[in-house]
Amino acid sequence: MSQQLIDIPEVELMGKGHVACPGCGSTVAMRFVLKALGEETMAVIPACCWTIVDGPTPSSVLKIPVMHTAFETAASAASGLKHGLDARGEKNTTVMAWAGDGGTFDIGFQAISGAAERNEDIIYFTYDNEAYMNTGVQRSSATPEGAWTTTTPTKTPKNKPKKDIVEALAAHHIPYIATASIAFPEDLIAKVKKAKEIRGMKFIHIISPCPPGWKSLPNDSIRLARLAVETKIFPLYEVEDGWKYHITHESKGTPVKEYLKAQGRFNHLTDADIENIQKTMDRKWKMLKMKEKLSLEEMEVLD
Amino acid sequence: MSDIMDLKNDQTLMAISTGDMSWNKTGSWRYMRPLYENKIPPCTVGCPAHEKIPQYFALVKEKKYKEAWETILPDNPMPGVTGRVCYHPCENVCNRGEYDETIAIHNMERFVADQNLDNHIPEYLVSKEKREEKVAIIGSGPAGLSAAYQLVRQGFKVTVFESANEAGGMLRIGIPSYRLPREILDKEIDDIKRLGVEIRAGITIGKDLPLSNLQKNFDAVLIAVGAYKSWGMQIPGEELKGIRSGLDYLKQYNLQEQATTGKNVVVVGGGNTAIDTARSALRMGAEKVTIVYRRSRAEMPAVPEEIEDAKKEGVQFVFLANPIAFHGNGSVQEVELIKMELGEPDKSGRRRPNPVKGSEYRIEADQVLLAIGEVPDLEFTEGQFKLLHDRLNLDNGQMTSQKGIFACGDAANGPIGTVVDAIATGHRAATAIGQYLRNGKVALNGKMESGVPFDTINLDYFVNEPRPKEQQHHPETLKENFEEVNLGITIEDALNEANRCFSCGTCTYCDNCLIFCPDVAIHLDPVKHEYIIDYDYCKGCGVCVHECPRNAMAFEEELKWNK
Repeated sequence: MSQQLIDIPEVELMGKGHVACPGCGSTVAMRFVLKALGEETMAVIPACCWTIVDGPTPSSVLKIPVMHTAFETAASAASGLKHGLDARGEKNTTVMAWAGDGGTFDIGFQAISGAAERNEDIIYFTYDNEAYMNTGVQRSSATPEGAWTTTTPTKTPKNKPKKDIVEALAAHHIPYIATASIAFPEDLIAKVKKAKEIRGMKFIHIISPCPPGWKSLPNDSIRLARLAVETKIFPLYEVEDGWKYHITHESKGTPVKEYLKAQGRFNHLTDADIENIQKTMDRKWKMLKMKEKLSLEEMEVLD
Repeated sequence: MSDIMDLKNDQTLMAISTGDMSWNKTGSWRYMRPLYENKIPPCTVGCPAHEKIPQYFALVKEKKYKEAWETILPDNPMPGVTGRVCYHPCENVCNRGEYDETIAIHNMERFVADQNLDNHIPEYLVSKEKREEKVAIIGSGPAGLSAAYQLVRQGFKVTVFESANEAGGMLRIGIPSYRLPREILDKEIDDIKRLGVEIRAGITIGKDLPLSNLQKNFDAVLIAVGAYKSWGMQIPGEELKGIRSGLDYLKQYNLQEQATTGKNVVVVGGGNTAIDTARSALRMGAEKVTIVYRRSRAEMPAVPEEIEDAKKEGVQFVFLANPIAFHGNGSVQEVELIKMELGEPDKSGRRRPNPVKGSEYRIEADQVLLAIGEVPDLEFTEGQFKLLHDRLNLDNGQMTSQKGIFACGDAANGPIGTVVDAIATGHRAATAIGQYLRNGKVALNGKMESGVPFDTINLDYFVNEPRPKEQQHHPETLKENFEEVNLGITIEDALNEANRCFSCGTCTYCDNCLIFCPDVAIHLDPVKHEYIIDYDYCKGCGVCVHECPRNAMAFEEELKWNK
């Protein structure tokens, strides 16, 4: 009798009882990712919300092996784990790193850069909630310009743009990079499955609404993850080999105001501020489209 | 190399968690509680018969056409009829209309009925418990048949008296067969008869049998005689030959397969009878048919699609004009019209037409058919009943001013003038009679509350899609051609339409609530086929409620549940 709108695998590798806040985007992200990767997966989790979310020793909410590591070491620990498994002949196990934006954009960046340059056969996920949420909402280099955090209060909100992590990774020419949103489960799962089949370094950037940090309603999490995409703030696309761009969902172009107004961390923004953000996002989208067009043209030349 | 799980002095090389988190009952965090709660959609409220539209659409999606039909039947035994002739007020309130185009509910109803032409109303819809009380129903139109069906379903013995030789009332007498093929009508009446309704045709109450006889021999009587008496216009020249009521004209053709038709026919009126009369006259050989209506097109009570079809077939329209006299030498030759202009809205909400002084003019006609409204012919009641606006006055329980005598349809006060209103009031009357015969008291439900509002639908899960177009057959020459004009929609269109429906307030088991739950706290019980929320773990974030595309969930304060 079921009449699904969304078709995703039934397998469930996340259990009940985790300690994430109500409406946490990163838990939905984890659920979908594990549905795509299946049982034969090991995860490395550095210091981040998920260190806590997974549960205290001797408990873990995930039905796969998880290795907790230090903040800056997700990519290097995952690399080591993969090599160890290889040495034991367990070549089919997927190794994933699962880190927040702090452990990716800031503290773990050196390790990722190294792993990317060595082209390690791991999938690196960053669930991006755009600040150090676990420790009480401090700004990170993933915090968007204009946002409130406890270290960028409303009188002096963040005045630097969000680091473009996808572009930084693309500059490493790794085989596969993708952005994903929990509001588009089919797109997210397809990208993870694709990454699983590719040998070498894969990087997947997932936008992950955080009700306490974003000062949004817990029931709005999926909607915000959808609006981030539809407003072109967080476009869904892939980059292969550092230069083949492919947009996987054509954003509707919903005004950014709709996304910003649903979050308390942007409450202080004036109409002029919002207008500026709109202009920036429109420009970035246009450039992304250009990149997609150029790479398609180049691919034709190669053919 | 040592394995990490190998024990050294009873210790692993590093701390290892081997237990899960199910001990951590996060449900205690919750202060809001999500619930499954189906709500009434606007279409069901808008349908006078309150058909369960999203429910039968869900079955169409699964190609369970028989089950879909059986979902309509408890509210309406004649979906093949209404799927053709209903004015579909359900569509006027359809939420999808605010998004792109309303759902073609009318076509869907016909589609479902047409898939079941070989099936009969199943026995399980009739109560196994049989009752001794007998009910007499006067009139076998849609109101009488609907009431008879509902009473038989309750286990009562029902006899229907019909003055014509065949059952159907206005469906047979008034509605032309190019709109309602007689085999469809016969099939659906036969289905009702099969359940044990006795129809005694050719008996006119008041002539062949007095009303008092029914009162004596039956435990309850239901008057469902419809409205057949024409008002007339009370203007000079009305007695001229060639002027008659449009309904009489239709009746004569529909019962005797012939009726005298002029070459140049003028039909007066703006309702469905006017349109039926005009289109029938074209088929009967009229060369020119003109509808004269005193208001404008916008105020016409006829179904808009029917007006369009009449235009396509060549019926001409004169709006904002009203006859003030008929002229001729024995037979009518000219109609004298006066131009009208629209003033302030009247009680019906439509703008009142006022004559424009000095604007009189004449048009030629050799036949004039009046379709300006009818009232019931209640001579057989010998003035025993209280009336309101020439119709039987009813209390809240469908009862007339006399105990044990009920009324419904166009004969009584209440919603009138359409087939579905007749079916709905027939159903109400049957419920009232059932209550009266069982407990001597009648207490009917009040009006259905308004349905799920548009702004509670999560539009993110829908994309713009066009409404299907009904196939039509417009014959080259209309003369003598009473073949059905509307041909319904295809299976593909019907399946598409079932999917296009928002299914407002009605769960379709789309799994969105389950898929997006951050706490993995929802599962589908495969046996009961219902979603179960594990309140031991649900933190009450409300994501499921928000991501429900159709407002089939509720979100309530936990305190209310902990009392």
